[in-house]
This record gives sequence, C-alpha cells and structure tokens, in this order.
Amino acid sequence: MSRTVTALLASVLLAIFVLALAALGSSHGSESRFPDLIMQFFFTPFSSRYFAGNLVADAVPLMIAGLGILIAFKSRNFNLGGEGQLYAGALAATVVALACQDHVSPASSASVAGMSIAAGILTGALLGAFSGVLRAIWHVSEMISSFLLSAITIAVTDYLVAGPLQDPNSNFQTTREIASFLRLPHILAPSKLDGSIFLALILVAAAAFAGSHSRVGFELRICGENEEFASYCGIRVAAYQTGAMALSGALHGLAGALLILGTQGRLIRGFSGGLGWSAITVALLAQNREYGIISAALFVAFLKSGSDQIMIGSGLPSELAALLQAAIMLVITTQTIPLAYHRTHSLRSASPASHEEASA
Amino acid sequence: MNANSSFFAFLPEIMRYAITAATPLLFASVGGLFPELGGMLNIALEGLIGMGAFFGMAMVGASGSLVAGALASMAAGVSGALLLSLMVLRFRAHLFVTGLAINLAAGGITAMLSHAWFGTKAVVPFAIPMIPHAFPPLMRNIPILGPILFSHSIITIAAWIWVILSATIIQRSRFGLRLRATGMNAEAVDALGARASRYRISALMLSGIGCGLAGYSLGISISAYVPNIASGRGWIALVAIYLGRRKTGWVAAACLVFALAESISNYLQGFLSIPLLLVLALPYAVTLISLIAGGIQERIRRQ
Repeated sequence: MSRTVTALLASVLLAIFVLALAALGSSHGSESRFPDLIMQFFFTPFSSRYFAGNLVADAVPLMIAGLGILIAFKSRNFNLGGEGQLYAGALAATVVALACQDHVSPASSASVAGMSIAAGILTGALLGAFSGVLRAIWHVSEMISSFLLSAITIAVTDYLVAGPLQDPNSNFQTTREIASFLRLPHILAPSKLDGSIFLALILVAAAAFAGSHSRVGFELRICGENEEFASYCGIRVAAYQTGAMALSGALHGLAGALLILGTQGRLIRGFSGGLGWSAITVALLAQNREYGIISAALFVAFLKSGSDQIMIGSGLPSELAALLQAAIMLVITTQTIPLAYHRTHSLRSASPASHEEASA
Repeated sequence: MNANSSFFAFLPEIMRYAITAATPLLFASVGGLFPELGGMLNIALEGLIGMGAFFGMAMVGASGSLVAGALASMAAGVSGALLLSLMVLRFRAHLFVTGLAINLAAGGITAMLSHAWFGTKAVVPFAIPMIPHAFPPLMRNIPILGPILFSHSIITIAAWIWVILSATIIQRSRFGLRLRATGMNAEAVDALGARASRYRISALMLSGIGCGLAGYSLGISISAYVPNIASGRGWIALVAIYLGRRKTGWVAAACLVFALAESISNYLQGFLSIPLLLVLALPYAVTLISLIAGGIQERIRRQ
C-alpha cells in the first residue's frame, strides 16, 4: 500500500474518530448524532452543484500555491512563507484594483484586471526572492527567513485592512469591494467557482511539461537532488535556488490575487484561513508529481469543506481540517526503508532543507 | 516633558518587563538547543509552546495547583516531542515536515479541546493562585536594582535556573558530550556502542519540557489561554539558537535582546500610539533583521 493511500486513509479514519468523539461528548441532543456528522462531513460537500462547485473553487488556490511549494521542494527550498506571500499577492492586487477601478471605463477591465494580477504575482515573487537571495548570499535559512517575512506581511496587511484601507461603509474589517467588471467570470453558478480553474490546470500542465521536458526543469531537478554535482556540472545552483523561491512566491502571489478578483471580491482580514499551510499538505500529498497536485488539492479542499460543514451543522471548530492535514503530513513522509537516518538537520548547515526524504 | 526624559524615567520598567518577557523565550530556546546540538533541529517549538500553555492552564484551572499545571504543561510538551521523535527516528519521517505537522496539529487539538472543555475556542480566562515572589521584600526594596532584578516571580527565576542547568548538562555531563558528538557524527557515536538515537530522543524530550514551561509561563502571565498564545515565540527561539551559535549563554543573551525589543516596542506603543496591529509585526521584524545580521556576520567570520 503506497504512502499516499495510507495518508489519505489516516486522515479519513482520524476524521471518523474525532466525529465519533464529538458525538459521544455532545450534550446538545440529537443535533450531533454520529450518522448526521458523518453525512455532513463526507456527503454534504458533494450533495449539490452548489457545494461541489465551491469545493472545486476552494481547490483552485490550493493547486496554484501547492504548485509553488512543489517547485520550492524540487529545488530543496522549504518555503514556509507561503501564507504571507499569498497575503502580499492579495494585498497588491486589491490596492491596484481599487486604485484603478474608479478611473477607468469597464471597457478596459481586462487590462486593469491583468495589472492587478501582475501586481500580485510580482509582490509574491519579491517576497520569495528575498528569502532566496538571503540563502544564496549569506546562507540564511530560507525556512526561517520566509516564515518571519510572512508573519510581518500578515501583520502589516491586517493593519492596512483594518486601518487605511478599511471600507468606511462596512462593519467588518475589510477593504471596499472590487468593481464587478474587474471580477473573474463565474462558471457553474450558483457556486463560487470562476474561470481561474482553467488557469490553474494550464499552470499544472505547464509545470509538468517544463519539469520533464525542458532544460531549466532538468537543471532545477539536478540542483535539488545533488547540489554539489550540479555545481560541478557548471549549473548555477544559487541562481536556480533563488529563482525557484521567486517562482514559488510568484505562484502564491497569483493564488492570492485570484482569490481577490475571483471568489472573495474584497480583501477581508484573515481571508486565507491557513491556505498557505494547506498548500504544503497538497505538495506533500502530490509526492513531487505535478499532475498529482490536482487530485491532492481536491482532497484537501474536501477535508476543509467537510470540516466547514461540521462547523455549520454542529459548531465543532473548523480547526478539525488542520488536524486532518497534520495526519496527512505525518504519514506521507514516513519511510519503510531506513534512509538518511544519520543525516543531521541543523541551523548551521549550509542548506538546512533537504528534501530527498520528503519527496522520495 | 520631552521624549528623552520620560524614556529614561521608564527605563527601569522597560528593563524589568524585558526580563519578564524573556522567560518563555529562555525556556523554549534553551530547550530547543538540545535537539539542535544533537543534529535534529526541532521546528515544532511553536506548537509545543501552545500545547504546554493550553494543558498547563487547563490543569491549573481544574486543580487549582500551580505545580500540577507546570507538570501538565511539561507532559504536553514532552508528548508532542515524543510523537516527533517516534515519527522521525522510528518511521523515518522527514524532520521538518513532521515538525510542521505538529505545529498544525497543536493548533487543531487545542482549538477542538478548548471547544469541548470550555465551550469556546477564543480566550479562556482562569482564576490562578498567587504566584510567589522569588526574593524577599528586603531585596525587592533595593532602589533601582530591586524592581528590575528582584521583583520577579519564581517562574522567571526558574527560567534562569533552567538556563544554568542546561549549560551544565551540555558542557559538563557525559550526556551533553555524547549529545554534541551525535550532532557532529551520529555514526561514530553508534560505533562507540552508545545509541545515537537515544540521545536524540532525550534531547527532543528536553525541548518538549522547555517548550511546555514556556507555554506555562505565558499562560500564567496573562491568567488565560488564548489561541496562538505562542505568537511566534517558537520561531524567535529558533533564531536565538542560531544567533547564540549554539552556546547556552549566548542563546540566553539573544533571548534577552529579543525580550528587550519586545519591551521597548510595548513602551513605544503606549508612547507614540503606533497602531496595535502594526506593533504585532515588530518582534518578527527585529528577529528577521537579527537573523540577517547574524548571517552576514557568520559569512564574514568564515572568510
């Protein structure tokens, strides 16, 4: 039985276990009966066009950001700043869209939307590249620098959303709404699914093609698998690693921007709900295969959707999803064959994130 | 009154608060130093602090005993660390991915249990017994030095005992020597007939104890459990380990610097009325800048 199947089973069994506990411990009467909880978790997400469409819509940013994590993994970068890069992308896209929308006619909507998305991509890429450059020049662990940078970005975004960018007509901590002519077209109404699904699929296909059929993809893989060998071959390892971090950040920024112009329509404080962390689960579940990202993202979106249904139905915290993802992470990287047992993982080593175990 | 004179007027208070704020950082970073020395950097410090805070406070609330609470938070930290060592050393899981999973799981477990036990996943206040002072009134009343150094609770003093104890274990004991050897060359330690994995498990458990106590001190200091109570301290502790070049004393010094930054930003917030949400970014910014400065310095040193 492959580790992927084991990990999926582990998360599903844990879900059933937690739901059983919740049903046992519930004192609110018939509301939290076990069969009802099981129905809410496993079947409601697929019960209608509306729910199924929403599930796919939730999977779209996971695919794009998950692809970003996967590219970082391939180059032996541990990008823990995905959440912040997502925020940065969303913030940049919102600012550009809000600044332009009052001054342009709906006729030029495509170029404004394009600029807004480009701003998101660029901001995310800058954040990612920053950590990449720090690692390349001064051997600063990209894992910790990206996390810290991300925490700063989130705090600053929260401040801007609740302060200078706050919509004066709203009681919530949110920016003004993006004009409807800038928004991505909906498909599969009444769900929130929009056109970004096609972009996500194209990106996955492009990454898969580039990963196995292009020189850049090939050299990137060599860099990830054996840094020393790569530099011996004349491959510019530092450039590839920094580039991969920038690309990883760019994809997170894109995911953030698409969320704003797509399903969300405005930047709401705490809009991502840990999406950047879920992207890591997606990339691990995909086991380094680009096409695996699609099904992995759908599965993680299902776990979140099921947990949300449980929260709506019986008030159980939606953090259930985090717990289930943790189970996936724990199982997916286990090895049946003792490998790299003596490897040391230290802050002092030049490249702290080694990924052959994670992605083998 | 100009800004300067009032800054100096507040200086003793700023320094006193810095020593208080250093307490959780000292517990977590010196605890996290053990596995780092053994070659197994524990990035789950953040999650373990949260678990320690939650279970420690829940136990204080249930039993009314500070000691029972401290034991519960240590037990929570150690169980998280044991899960980590089980997954990594027995099932060969990737260390950082496992650490990340434990951080994620800690947030999930505490939210679910907080909902089940206290009916909310937001702030849970607890009535806690009086925390004893560490020093007699005579010492606390010494001008200037008294308030800064001797007005602290036994928990803060325990953090410094933890630092001294850890330094002694690392530098003077057979365990410390072999742990450091494990970090340098685990195969050699195995070849000597000492099981490297045992030292790594023990080191991880020590980091669990440290993080549990770090969480406990955080919870006690605000008489409540709040979600994300660690608020980045686990990561800041990792940077302190890096900046301290794995020497216990320097790690503790790095913690003091971060705590001083926290204290000053707290003071500035009241003084310059910087928006609260922006102040939340300051500890991370100080830590990031220190991390970069440490990297540059390391680079220069090696050239």
